[in-house]
Amino acid sequence: MDTVVFSSWKGKVIDNRKLASRRKAPEEVGVPKLEGEKYSALMGWNGLVIADPQADVFSLTRAYLTEARRLSCGECSVCMISIDLILDLLKGMESGQITDGIEEITKVVKGVAKTAKCNFGRNVLTPVGDAVNYFKADFLAVAQRKKQAVDGPYNSYVTAPCMQACPAHLDIPGYVELIRNYRFADSLELIRERCILPGVIGRACTHPCEEACVRNSMEGPVAIRLLKRAVADHDLETETRELKRPREERSERIAIIGAGPAGLAAAYHLRLMGYKVTVFEALPKAGGMAAIGIPDYRLPKGILQHEVDLLQRQGVEIKLNQKVEKLDVNKLEKEGFAAVFVAVGAHKGTNIGCEGEEESPYVVQGVEFLKRVNLGEKITPVERVTIIGGGNVALDCARSCLRLGFKKVEIVYRRSRKEMPGNKEEIEEALHEGVKITYLAAPVKIIRKGDKVTAIECVKMKLGEPDESGRKRPVPIEGSNFKIKTDMVIAATGQKPDLTFLGEKERAAATTGWGTIKIDADSLQTPVARIFAGGDCVSGPATLIEALHMGNEAAKAIDSYLHGKKTNKKISLSGVDLTDQREEIGVLRAEPQKPPILPLEDRLRGYDEVEKGFTAKEAVKEAERCLRCYRLIVWK
Amino acid sequence: MIEFTLDGRKMEAREGETILGVARRMRIEIPTLCYHDEVSPFGACRLCVVEVKDGGKWQILPSCQTPISKGMEVRTESEPVKESRRLAAELLYYKFPGVPVVREIAGKLGVTIREEDKESNDCILCGLCVRACREVVGVAALKFMDRGLGRENPEPQIGFDAEKCIGCGSCAYICPSGFVKMEAVDGKRIIWDKVFHMASCKVCGRYFAPIEQLEFISRKTGVPIDNLMMCTSCR
Repeated sequence: MDTVVFSSWKGKVIDNRKLASRRKAPEEVGVPKLEGEKYSALMGWNGLVIADPQADVFSLTRAYLTEARRLSCGECSVCMISIDLILDLLKGMESGQITDGIEEITKVVKGVAKTAKCNFGRNVLTPVGDAVNYFKADFLAVAQRKKQAVDGPYNSYVTAPCMQACPAHLDIPGYVELIRNYRFADSLELIRERCILPGVIGRACTHPCEEACVRNSMEGPVAIRLLKRAVADHDLETETRELKRPREERSERIAIIGAGPAGLAAAYHLRLMGYKVTVFEALPKAGGMAAIGIPDYRLPKGILQHEVDLLQRQGVEIKLNQKVEKLDVNKLEKEGFAAVFVAVGAHKGTNIGCEGEEESPYVVQGVEFLKRVNLGEKITPVERVTIIGGGNVALDCARSCLRLGFKKVEIVYRRSRKEMPGNKEEIEEALHEGVKITYLAAPVKIIRKGDKVTAIECVKMKLGEPDESGRKRPVPIEGSNFKIKTDMVIAATGQKPDLTFLGEKERAAATTGWGTIKIDADSLQTPVARIFAGGDCVSGPATLIEALHMGNEAAKAIDSYLHGKKTNKKISLSGVDLTDQREEIGVLRAEPQKPPILPLEDRLRGYDEVEKGFTAKEAVKEAERCLRCYRLIVWK
Repeated sequence: MIEFTLDGRKMEAREGETILGVARRMRIEIPTLCYHDEVSPFGACRLCVVEVKDGGKWQILPSCQTPISKGMEVRTESEPVKESRRLAAELLYYKFPGVPVVREIAGKLGVTIREEDKESNDCILCGLCVRACREVVGVAALKFMDRGLGRENPEPQIGFDAEKCIGCGSCAYICPSGFVKMEAVDGKRIIWDKVFHMASCKVCGRYFAPIEQLEFISRKTGVPIDNLMMCTSCR
């Protein structure tokens, strides 16, 4: 699209049909932009945008309503029936039986916006009202047989504020709605299409979806994460529904290196497509960071195991304790592997960069420490431990230390609490359990006596200008050094992938300056033929759901590659506020359901799960709070 | 007690009481189609909508699902309320012109009803059967099959799980449109196309309940099935 001829986006009407000279570029007038896609006409929940003066608004409206009907749940009496009614009116106009249906359409549009049950229904007809109001002549021309409506093809895209925020774009309103209707097994099936570890993600996800939830600005967001957990737990506790089986078997074998969220997600989808999938895992457990990075009090062992068992029953072969020392594509090819997906994660801790941090039993890496805890190795507690870092690894280490019997647990973080990257609830729980957090301080020297540690010397920091990550850069305050007496230091300042298994040539070709694997963003292919990569080893340490998403995408990419298919174009709506809408939400006030939390006195005795889940009844009640904010756009 | 205003009059509601609850208590007529005292409200028919001001602007909300909060203002007879109800009734009538209960309620709300529509017993998707089966009977053999992204369900409908159904007939009793039919033919009951064998009373010999229902009651209560083989009049 070059210039905007007409727009009613957000209710702001720009009509330059007659004044070509005043037409402006889309970014100047604030209409949606589709990444890498031009459109001549677009209809969405928030308005109508026309770029081509010849655009057929009648057929656009019909295409939009046809798509909208598929999304309308049909539960309330107004939304779906009104769509049917308007489609019937358009049909009548086209066949010449109705000469003027505009008045009726306008009346219905206005009424439905006030009366529909959900947020989708309240907004869905708004642009149709714009179309018949501002393009009345076009509609009448069709009705009076002066013009013929020419149909599509039209493209459509559906999202929601929560879906857009979710790295894996789960159909959140969809699965929440199924819970509301007590269809837990169906809900789980829908979740599994994009999230094969629902029990894990339902516990350990950072849930950006909840930040985006429209209810967040009211009584608090819908507890989307806990709802996912509720259906996963229901599956585990009552009627386990097996994973879908492939419809047909394929001859090709696929090798996956690493059984973390990315590897397992790719394994599931590839298996479902019929490929024979073998996952090589260096550790004695499958799950990657979900297995060894998240302590049991946040993710009890049985949860991940159930989800891994399901995958194995689906036919995914997982070889544990099989570290790939040298990646040899030719050898793998001889063994019948048509493609390799590298998802080895980022398990190597990065150095703090201070004096005295050479590894010893008393100076350890956070990821390494968590791995030992999670694999059940014996750890003898010392009196005082200092943990460096502000992310979830630091918080998990600290809370694990309390449970192991360390007496004084202190986190040292170089920025302030506001900048701390760890989950908000993790920070709160850590403080609640007795972890001390010292903000705005950074280590300069670990004071040691041989292997042992006696203290850590730190310097006070202040916040300067924001850096490239957008967070304020910490600057040391000269002369403010101080010592913290400690017996042990855990460094949790970051991780990077261990890529020593790549040959020198491959490493040179396929590594970035950050020490991660280089891929093509669309095809997920590395510069080395037949090797794909995803997860933390590509992105650097990120969240479970981001890794999982790359696994989902990798499966599609590998299938496309092997069968010469084109990958579907990704649609992204840039500069569009999905929470913005023109109609009133029409919301029933509803306080969020809160699951019980393990009392403090019971926590530190062991690794019992701190947060309890919803009962089925609570889950349904919470699901009822969903406003169902599906956003539809249709364009040509 | 919670103080609020209903049609300009100061009033008190009990904790948790809905607008519809108070209105019924005060004998204020509010039309409903998907509401029943014995099951949870669903907010589907949109006929019971009222205008509510709860801090912000006036909004149209379903009275069956809206609990009263302190200081809330409610209008049950304003023009916007009438318009919304009439629209919901018009749309229901548009979709289900032959269903008697829809014709009756739409007529009352000012929709012009044609004499010539053929009578029919379509499912109007009120969801009463689903809720009765789950909440009153405790069986959950019925579920709402709605639509949405990635669900290729051309029409929303009620899904029936024959394995779970005990043939009690609650869905047929509560159904306002006559869609759920229950037939009795020589010792058998047919409902949702499933055939149930009826138990005959060991005293009077009359067929009185499906055997599967008695088995269900026996399982739930622990009363031996033999003790249940008697109709209510002989018991």
